[in-house]
Amino acid sequence: MISLILIILASLFFSGIIIRTKSIASGRKGPGIFQPLKDVIRLFKKGSVYSKTTSFIFQIAPSIYFASIIMAIMVIPLGEYKGIISFEGDFVFFAYVLGVGKFFSIISALDTGSSFEGMGASREALFSMFAEPAFFILMGSFTLLTGHTSFQEIFASLHFGSYISYILWILATVVLVMITMVENSRMPFDDPKTHLELTMVHEVMILDNSGFDLGLILYGTSLKFAMYGALIANLFMGSFPLYITIPLFFGMQMLFAIAVGLLESFTARFRMNHNAQYILTLSSVSLLIFLGVLLILGQFS
Amino acid sequence: MTNVLLIIFAITLLYLGIAHRLLTYIKILALQGVLLFGIAFIELIEINAANLTFVLLETIVIKGIAIPLFLNYVMKRNRITRDAEPFLPNFVSLIIITLIIIATFILSNAIDDSRISKIYFVVALSTLFTGLYIIVTRHKIITHVMGYLIIENGVFILSLALGNEMPALVNLGILLDVFASVFLLGIFVNRVGDVLKDVDVDQLKSLKD
Repeated sequence: MISLILIILASLFFSGIIIRTKSIASGRKGPGIFQPLKDVIRLFKKGSVYSKTTSFIFQIAPSIYFASIIMAIMVIPLGEYKGIISFEGDFVFFAYVLGVGKFFSIISALDTGSSFEGMGASREALFSMFAEPAFFILMGSFTLLTGHTSFQEIFASLHFGSYISYILWILATVVLVMITMVENSRMPFDDPKTHLELTMVHEVMILDNSGFDLGLILYGTSLKFAMYGALIANLFMGSFPLYITIPLFFGMQMLFAIAVGLLESFTARFRMNHNAQYILTLSSVSLLIFLGVLLILGQFS
Repeated sequence: MTNVLLIIFAITLLYLGIAHRLLTYIKILALQGVLLFGIAFIELIEINAANLTFVLLETIVIKGIAIPLFLNYVMKRNRITRDAEPFLPNFVSLIIITLIIIATFILSNAIDDSRISKIYFVVALSTLFTGLYIIVTRHKIITHVMGYLIIENGVFILSLALGNEMPALVNLGILLDVFASVFLLGIFVNRVGDVLKDVDVDQLKSLKD
């Protein structure tokens, strides 16, 4: 329960901090931290416009997308406190519930009949497909390391002692951050500020959404960021008491948002045809994490 | 600690798979030299001081500084273009290098011998095969020499694994370095970049007696 509340609280200011960091880094005055939230509230007050070529799928997809993110957040624990749903193997549930949401957003993009949206959907599907093995190899390695299969038990029994565990922890953080960027279609893989439909990935998929639906999708992005931020924060928590974990959680979210902002300010987007290989690198790095876990366990020395 | 350095070394191999420019290759080679210095320092601390100094100087000065600078100089002097020009797309390279790492990993598990240090074995063997792969799939002669330098880094790692028992093996590994330098000097002295306009291996076929 507590993790759901904290993630929703963090999601309120997450996008704002990214935008603020970007504006400071580029020397602009920039909007306030709550500007993205105000935009979402404005969108929530509006009605939606549906094109005549679309079917009911286009209308239900944003809600399903949003619901899938909420479902995924419910699985995430906070340190040793369980999420609302917690069972053996829930990280598989986490990945595929997000997958369902992504599937619906893809078919709703195809439903509009726009060729640009089909292209964006194809790219989104491809990039998510390449990011998936990285996540599973990473979580599989942690499962092997701790001997547990649910998020809460894995994170509660992760502890770092030897040199090699530090490098695993650094690599895991890097892999999770990059997976976040892929899943949210952010900077090194996709530029959220681009104005050309041909080079968009996620933005082009939501071109036809308006009003309430668009609000749901935009707020879903903030929630997804906060969700992955919570996952990363969990790597550091172990079994500390609550008065340490909550400041740690918000500190990590803040740090993550600033890091994303800096990354977006100072890197150029990868060329579209090179994206696949960069995403696949994550899987290769996860494989090395797996090797490191085997080393720690002494299965392999 | 050596395990950490070896895992970083394996990551440099993956980076090598997706690098586009020759300058990146040179930077990776320099980084590998520094990593080898770290590994040698931790692993060989027990051998006698003179030999240790020699090995450490060889890794940090020659592998880490001299060869990268010299490669850079050769590239500038022979006006070699900065693209790596692989035969295969980088995406395939990345998959193949990952497969190489997995294969050596499985191979090392299949060898049921408690005397070999498996992590060294995996990293050394995958470095060897990656070097071979780089040689096979790149156009330019200078990338062939770089591939050879990578192979030789692999041999060096393998020799480090038993350096404490057989210091002579490490020195043998270093001799390979000298051999590679001769290659480099050959390119430098003959100015291959100028004689054959494109520095392309395909044109070497026209060289006959």
